[in-house]
Amino acid sequence: MNPADVAQSVLPLTSSDLSLFTLFWHAHWIVKSVMIGLLVCSVWVWAIAIDKTVLFTRTRRAMDQFEQTFWSGQSLEELYRTLSSRPNHSMAALFVAAMREWKRSFEGHARAIAGLQTRIEKVMEVTISREVERLERRLLVLATVGSAGPFVGLFGTVWGIMTSFQSIAASKNTSLAVVAPGIAEALFATAIGLVAAIPATIFYNKFASEVNKQAQRLEGFADEFAAILSRQIDERG
Amino acid sequence: MQAGSIISTAGHAAVLLYALVSFSGHSFEMPPQDSLPVDLVSLKDFSQMTKGAKDAPKPKPAEKPKPLVEKIDQPKPAENTKPKVAEKKEEIKTASAAPPEPPTKPDKIAEKLKKPDEKPTEAKADPKPLPPRKPPPQPKKQRQFDPDKIAALLDKRDPQRNAATGAELNDKPTLGSVKGMAAMLSQSELDALRARISQCWSPPVGAEDTPNLFVVLRVLFKRDGSVAREPVPVEGSASKFGPALAESAKRALLRCQPFTMLKPEHYDQWKDIEIKFDLHEMLGG
Repeated sequence: MNPADVAQSVLPLTSSDLSLFTLFWHAHWIVKSVMIGLLVCSVWVWAIAIDKTVLFTRTRRAMDQFEQTFWSGQSLEELYRTLSSRPNHSMAALFVAAMREWKRSFEGHARAIAGLQTRIEKVMEVTISREVERLERRLLVLATVGSAGPFVGLFGTVWGIMTSFQSIAASKNTSLAVVAPGIAEALFATAIGLVAAIPATIFYNKFASEVNKQAQRLEGFADEFAAILSRQIDERG
Repeated sequence: MQAGSIISTAGHAAVLLYALVSFSGHSFEMPPQDSLPVDLVSLKDFSQMTKGAKDAPKPKPAEKPKPLVEKIDQPKPAENTKPKVAEKKEEIKTASAAPPEPPTKPDKIAEKLKKPDEKPTEAKADPKPLPPRKPPPQPKKQRQFDPDKIAALLDKRDPQRNAATGAELNDKPTLGSVKGMAAMLSQSELDALRARISQCWSPPVGAEDTPNLFVVLRVLFKRDGSVAREPVPVEGSASKFGPALAESAKRALLRCQPFTMLKPEHYDQWKDIEIKFDLHEMLGG
């Protein structure tokens, strides 16, 4: 890029009109694309955050409700009948998967009890991993934005400062009025990067711990349910 | 996921809009500060200003300080010993007994009514006297050529320039200080003095290695530059070479007098000075 052009593009920006839009508009196209990319990242991060918050809250509430009904002494057959059509949360899905395997083993033509215990555990394990996968989908985006956002913003800043120094060299004028607008717009890129990255990091940590907690809860329920079914198998067999 | 995206986008748009409105580079505006009118006065100017004039008015003997108040009121007789309530009652009684003076308002109005009447009569009584006749304009004087003032006519300097002497520079000359002279020992004079002394000075042998070895002598000069009195050591470093150093310095001074580089017109400046004899400074070590 011709330094004279840089000077031309930077110099008209006087300190009087340092609005956000002018800052963006006078930036180099690389800085511009960095800014837009970071803005999109920020939108995406917040979308994921809202989505995950809703998902986790709903899941936790459903789990509480399910555990209450499960331990209330209601017959498991009945519970299975109400839930089997649409297992709407992870613990229900776990329960339905185990019950389906149990029923299939007992109601078939040949009773296959010998390996039932193992099969039920396997089924529940698969269901847990599937549910956890569903819970932590897109969390990687948060982690990526959180760690890479500042760097991307910094890249935009470095580029902007480079161009502003080029403009200094071109105009042979080191007054602050020449340097300041370029640096301001360059720093704007870092600002956007931080704006995107800080919530991303916070949300990632929060959701990661949430996923961990819910996975443990699922595993605990699976173990308990497996124990109950194992007792039933032994009693019937 | 859709709801989240929509909410997030809307939120970002709102924040951006707000930032567009609110975020703008305000230029730093400094509150105007009251300027202190300060003139730079050089030392020379100052001493010129404080230079005394012979015909300055003598300072008056200090007047007796005027009392701050013009008239000291007599202490009020202690009337308040009576209980206040009783007093008030009396007042009310007297008020009811004798009606107070009529209020002044009607008076003012009456005056105002009277005034316009008076004015016209006055005006009629004595009409304005005719303005005094101007003296006839005198014929302009021919500029006379005064050969004595050629120098003044040629002088292109600023007529408002500062005069050189204290009496004119300072519109209120005082008797001034004794040393209120613009003349100071110039650097060249000092250097010459120093060079001369260091020529004559032979410091004691072995003293070169001692750090911070110096002696300060107070010297009184006569007007012709010779030493008036034996120089007196004022200050010196604590060292075994101290006395020898002072002696050698004294000898140097006495040997090299008179110091003709000291100009007699600045005699006030150098008639009583203290000279520091420092081995490393004087001999350039």
